[in-house]
Amino acid sequence: MAAASAPPAAERLVRISRIAGRYLVFDIDDVVYIRRCHGVCAVLTGTMPQNPTQNLFLGLPVELQAEEAKLLVDMGVAYVADELADHLARLSDPAFEPARRTYREHLRQLRKTAQQAFEEEKARVAALHADKRGGKKNKESKKKQPAGVEAASAEPESSAAASGPAAQAETPSLFDDDVPPPPPPQPQKQKPSILPGVTPSTSFPLTATPPSPASSAPADSIPASVAPSYALLTYLNSRGYYTTPGLRFGGRLSVYPGDPFRYHAHYLANGYGWDEPVPMLDVVTSGRLGTAVKKGFLFGAERPKAAAEEGEEGGKDKGENVRVFCVEWAGM
Amino acid sequence: MPLDDDDNPSLAPSEINLMTAAPSHGGSAAAASAADEQMTAEELLEDEGGSAAQDFRAFATALQHRKNQFRKEPGVSAQTIRRGEKDFESHGTRAQADALEQSRAAMRDVLSYVRVHTVPSGPGASSGKVGGNPVRGWYFPGWWEGFEEVEEEEEAVVVKGEDGEKKEKKPYGWIRERVVVLEGSSTASQALGRAVTGQAKDRPARGKDWLLPEEALYLVERGSLDLWWPFKPLEEIFPPDGTVDAQDPGEEEETEVDEYEFGIPLSLQAAYALLIGDDGERGKISLQKFQVYSNLKRCGYNVLRAPPLPKPPAQSPSSPASRQTLWQWLTSRLASPPQHPPYGPLVRPGLYRSYVPIYRQMALISRHSPSSSTSTPSFQIHFHVWKSAQKWTKLRHPPPDFRLAVLDAQQTFVPSLREIGALLDSSPADRGNPQWAGHPGRMYARLKHGSRNVLLAVVDHGVINYMRFAEGSGFVEEPLYGRFDAAVAKGGVAPKKGGGRNNGRGGVVRGGKGKGRGRGRGR
Repeated sequence: MAAASAPPAAERLVRISRIAGRYLVFDIDDVVYIRRCHGVCAVLTGTMPQNPTQNLFLGLPVELQAEEAKLLVDMGVAYVADELADHLARLSDPAFEPARRTYREHLRQLRKTAQQAFEEEKARVAALHADKRGGKKNKESKKKQPAGVEAASAEPESSAAASGPAAQAETPSLFDDDVPPPPPPQPQKQKPSILPGVTPSTSFPLTATPPSPASSAPADSIPASVAPSYALLTYLNSRGYYTTPGLRFGGRLSVYPGDPFRYHAHYLANGYGWDEPVPMLDVVTSGRLGTAVKKGFLFGAERPKAAAEEGEEGGKDKGENVRVFCVEWAGM
Repeated sequence: MPLDDDDNPSLAPSEINLMTAAPSHGGSAAAASAADEQMTAEELLEDEGGSAAQDFRAFATALQHRKNQFRKEPGVSAQTIRRGEKDFESHGTRAQADALEQSRAAMRDVLSYVRVHTVPSGPGASSGKVGGNPVRGWYFPGWWEGFEEVEEEEEAVVVKGEDGEKKEKKPYGWIRERVVVLEGSSTASQALGRAVTGQAKDRPARGKDWLLPEEALYLVERGSLDLWWPFKPLEEIFPPDGTVDAQDPGEEEETEVDEYEFGIPLSLQAAYALLIGDDGERGKISLQKFQVYSNLKRCGYNVLRAPPLPKPPAQSPSSPASRQTLWQWLTSRLASPPQHPPYGPLVRPGLYRSYVPIYRQMALISRHSPSSSTSTPSFQIHFHVWKSAQKWTKLRHPPPDFRLAVLDAQQTFVPSLREIGALLDSSPADRGNPQWAGHPGRMYARLKHGSRNVLLAVVDHGVINYMRFAEGSGFVEEPLYGRFDAAVAKGGVAPKKGGGRNNGRGGVVRGGKGKGRGRGRGR
């Protein structure tokens, strides 16, 4: 499974949208990729269109902290795009007419696929009803249906990375052989009926171009103010820890030993400057707070470059220069 | 978690408010609060992690997400989704790896859903199948740029005072900020958007609803709005003389070539790019504010942008004065302390038959009285929030239940006294539920609510935390010493109506008339 999606991932360059100084990722494949391969899970912030009246499960976009954006850019797996300027140019500049055309074509394709999916669904439901009316057959079809569901939900996993919408929409028909094949009604229906509208998550073909120096903001445009916690984040990330914003537990970061899908956070973490005095009270409060939520309080700092002469080469392994400590309330 | 625990149903048997139980915030507590209460505190703390609850597998199964990425199964309530089990750390088993993999795959499945809008009025269209009521919106950022909105707020107050509710003014409309025009109307436009009235007849798109950036983005995100980028000016898309029917979507889309002549649909990414901006940018909203807005909307609250601060003078000082109740008058009498000589005993020697006069003499420190200053605060109230209610509409609604300011967790410091004071000053006095007034059992509810309060929504990269700052002048208005006399009175005389907790009011009167029996032995 992991192996299946790794190869395309290797050359993937994640587009980080910078909008008003915030860093967002809109492409689900990008989100999955950075989560799986680079240990950046960040926070899902959007409303889930399937079920928009709950706050438990949220959808795209994912908001990255500035540190995380910088980390990904420094690792060379992502680039930052100034989304507003890019979109304005591509939407209104005549020079980008071809891009717009491909975008429209892409949309049309999506809409056709959607239409097709609806038709299939309709046909399937109709078939189900017909079966029910048929009497005894219904038991059989009911049994078949869950099997089909499982198969379909398993399918995208294996073909996840590569499959476009078309591929996904077609897969079910492979499994539901006993359902009357939907294709026949399509040719007749498609022309008279109106294609449904579609709002894709990304402006994919419109802004698909890989980073050109002009459109993508340089990596160092990410504010340097992130420094202290950036070093800590790099350190933790290089050791396989996942981090999320620390607001929930009262630190700068919450640190997980693996994907937060599976594990509880172990630490709440704060980054400091190397020579920055750390108020004792901070240690006590955070330490007690961490213990109260069954976590350790972790704090660390990076030794400045001058002191540690290893320099630029150690860029990948920045953890070299970071010292961290963990405080737990002894409760004696 | 309800925003206002004053309304906790368990505390208020008289009015059980179903609305407060349902909406909740944060990543965690969307499930029934009843379920939450059963959890131990520890579990809850762990669970506050929010992400702890993000088991997409459960969600995917609940959605019965099958077959294709366009399918939407409406009506899954959060209660049906069980919380996922998590491990402490990796133990290298395949079961664990599989579970993780399933979670990831489920997330991918669920999130690769593509928002589809069925055509609402197409002949034989599969409308209603996908649910919702899709509309098309057009992005015209410059249309209202030069619009001068008349400040209606102040007049409204005056008018209401004179001839009641007869001539009701509309709430402030933020017309200049409105950038998306709706084609047709939908159920959503009952609560969102605003049609600009008083326009010339030949004005294009007359009577159409215009959306604020957050409203448009929220609708796009929940799949209820198809946002388009126009290639043609507004006049052509919405001809002024009401020949809009020529644009009837059905006709337009009959010929596929023509379809994108007027513009193209925007993606979610594009919508974010166009509608999210820096603070104070016209026609945009900052990401933090939008996140709070949509969080509240998802919870079911009604949210409107707070009107701008009123122009300096008058208005507020007059209203408290005119609304002075007997209670306020009494407390103001309480508040004016007797003159103290520069030396000598604090409590003048004499014969005291109740505690009240003694305590009143001991009140040396003048109390803080809520004022409404006109200085522009560095913190501002951004949203007015209402609990969801049947009769609420975007144009006619009661005063907001909550006033809310949005802060960034990483860039803001704890507000100073002056800042929070200014923030409170910009909100009118609000003593909470009128049923609480004078009710002995609700004293702590009153104290907690304060004489007015403000909610702060602290946003840390998409994680939101709500806090309430209440102005606690209530402590002065809830003197406890009245009880002492009451207790004494109860000891001797038959208990009066209202009993022991007649806080101060009864005490003052009784003390003044000397009805208190003897010198009590305390309580």
